[in-house]
Amino acid sequence: MQAHTAQAQAAHFDRNDGKLVLAHVFVAFTALFLGGIAGLLQGMVRGGMFTLPAGIGYYQLLTAHGVLMALIFTTFFIIGFLYSGLSKTLGGKLLPSVRKMGWIGFWLMLIGTVIGVIMILLNKATVLYTFYAPLKASPLFYIALALLVVGSWISGFGVFKQYRHWKKENKGQFSPLFAFMTVTTMLMWQIATLGVAAAVLLQFIPWSFGWIDTINVMLTRTLFWYFGHPLVYFWLLPTYICWYVIIPKVIGSKIFSDALARLTFILLLMFSLPVGFHHQLMEPAIANFWKYLQVVLTFMVVVPSLITAFSMFATFELSGRAKGAKGLFGWVKTLPWKDVRFFAPFMGMLLFIPAGAGGLINASHQMNAVVHNTLWVPGHFHLSVATTVALTFFGVAYWLIPVVTGRTMQPKMHKLGIIQSLLWSVGMFIMSGAMHVVGLFGSPRRTAYTTYGDHPDAILWMPYHVVMAIGGIILFISLIVLVYNIITMLRAPKGYTEYPIAEVAETADKTPKLLERWGVWVTVAVLLVLTAYGMPVMEILNNPAPGSPGYIMW
Amino acid sequence: MENLTPNMKRTDASIKSAHSTESEPSLKGTFASVMMVGAFLLVSWLGVFLLFLARS
Repeated sequence: MQAHTAQAQAAHFDRNDGKLVLAHVFVAFTALFLGGIAGLLQGMVRGGMFTLPAGIGYYQLLTAHGVLMALIFTTFFIIGFLYSGLSKTLGGKLLPSVRKMGWIGFWLMLIGTVIGVIMILLNKATVLYTFYAPLKASPLFYIALALLVVGSWISGFGVFKQYRHWKKENKGQFSPLFAFMTVTTMLMWQIATLGVAAAVLLQFIPWSFGWIDTINVMLTRTLFWYFGHPLVYFWLLPTYICWYVIIPKVIGSKIFSDALARLTFILLLMFSLPVGFHHQLMEPAIANFWKYLQVVLTFMVVVPSLITAFSMFATFELSGRAKGAKGLFGWVKTLPWKDVRFFAPFMGMLLFIPAGAGGLINASHQMNAVVHNTLWVPGHFHLSVATTVALTFFGVAYWLIPVVTGRTMQPKMHKLGIIQSLLWSVGMFIMSGAMHVVGLFGSPRRTAYTTYGDHPDAILWMPYHVVMAIGGIILFISLIVLVYNIITMLRAPKGYTEYPIAEVAETADKTPKLLERWGVWVTVAVLLVLTAYGMPVMEILNNPAPGSPGYIMW
Repeated sequence: MENLTPNMKRTDASIKSAHSTESEPSLKGTFASVMMVGAFLLVSWLGVFLLFLARS
């Protein structure tokens, strides 16, 4: 018993690191809740159930929802989660200088968030989360975005510093898988955010201040999507970290293959960057060849996702077979369905299958013409980021909050967490399903309530919009349960909760050293970016369309 | 066992089966699962492609 207690205390999460992680998680869930209120109202407005009072605009809410959910919730949760894993796997605590960098990054991002949200609430930045030019927001909104990005860079530099320190102390050894994946995620993020930083610093800020009269719309859109698609992978990579490193431990199994997991992340580093044009397939000013090339590269990025699907099924099956499961799918029954740490991410994995199918359709030029700017598209990313990623993060939060606060994970939390995850899955399935179907019928996205002059086609869309609103209401109920659960976790008795990190299976093949040669992979990634973007961006710069003045349409 | 030639190993199904259950557990469920995922992706893609063809 004494030995057990000593072991438990040794495994306790560092208190100071815990505060840093908790601060990130707290801001993330606050953003999620506020964004959820905006989402609920949007759904009800769009479904014709509710009219916004007090001059609040639909597009203002839409901007708040997108920014708070897609940019703030995700970025804060991801950095908090990644720092927790670094602290756990690279020496048991962060270096003081790294922890300081984490806090500097946190405060910069928080200041950016507060300024950005105030601008949106003041109706000075109703430009939606993609902030496409020539819609022009207050300069403070773009400064807020810059602070968010710079803060995340400083946190990223902290990750690299901790990793380098560990490598120096442990010469010749492979870094722990969690740390390797964290470095890959932040490397990809640093390269991707260069695009959005350039757009904000060189175009949006001078233009919004009036220092330059016009903006290059194509350049800013291209730089946005150069960042915008890797942003999707910035959400997905930490999700995959949970699936590869955490889930095997939770189900009482081991990592199927360390080499395969690292290969997946290296492929994602290389192929998630040079693919932004598949968001711009319907746009002029980009020659078809470059669109084609980036579509091919987009389909390359499908490979690591399919490897991940294989690895997950294999991990589950090996675990089940070890417990004596028989038959083709007997292993399914042996999975820990009553453990929220497994259940929530599993629901995310399950719904990632239709999300991935939608992604393949979006990225195919002809079919993009079918779904472009319809409700299909938000249906797609509500399945990917708002279901797959969000449910995985919920599953992580249910053990991470007790770990970093030094509290016990109470048994009732599994039940409450599963109810919350189920409500979220059902709500999202209903809402996103309706969005997909009505999108195929042609209902446009980013549109407030309208019956288009009672056109028969538009009238037929209405029942789907009502179903979307019902899904939104279920999602909001799930959010309320989540808030209750978080408060309950913060009031749980003091004690020990395990940080689940899986070991690699004995049967796994040896990991090739090449997989940790960062110089090689970053060079390949940069070369791919230059190949895919160099010529078309030069073309946009050399033969620019007439620049545009700013428009305030709200 | 050590005296078996590679050829004998290949032809003796029972030994091969015993060997595979010892060191390489069955992944037939995984194989079936990834095939189903693949089929779903393909059917979805073809569905929207047919819609594109029907509308163009």
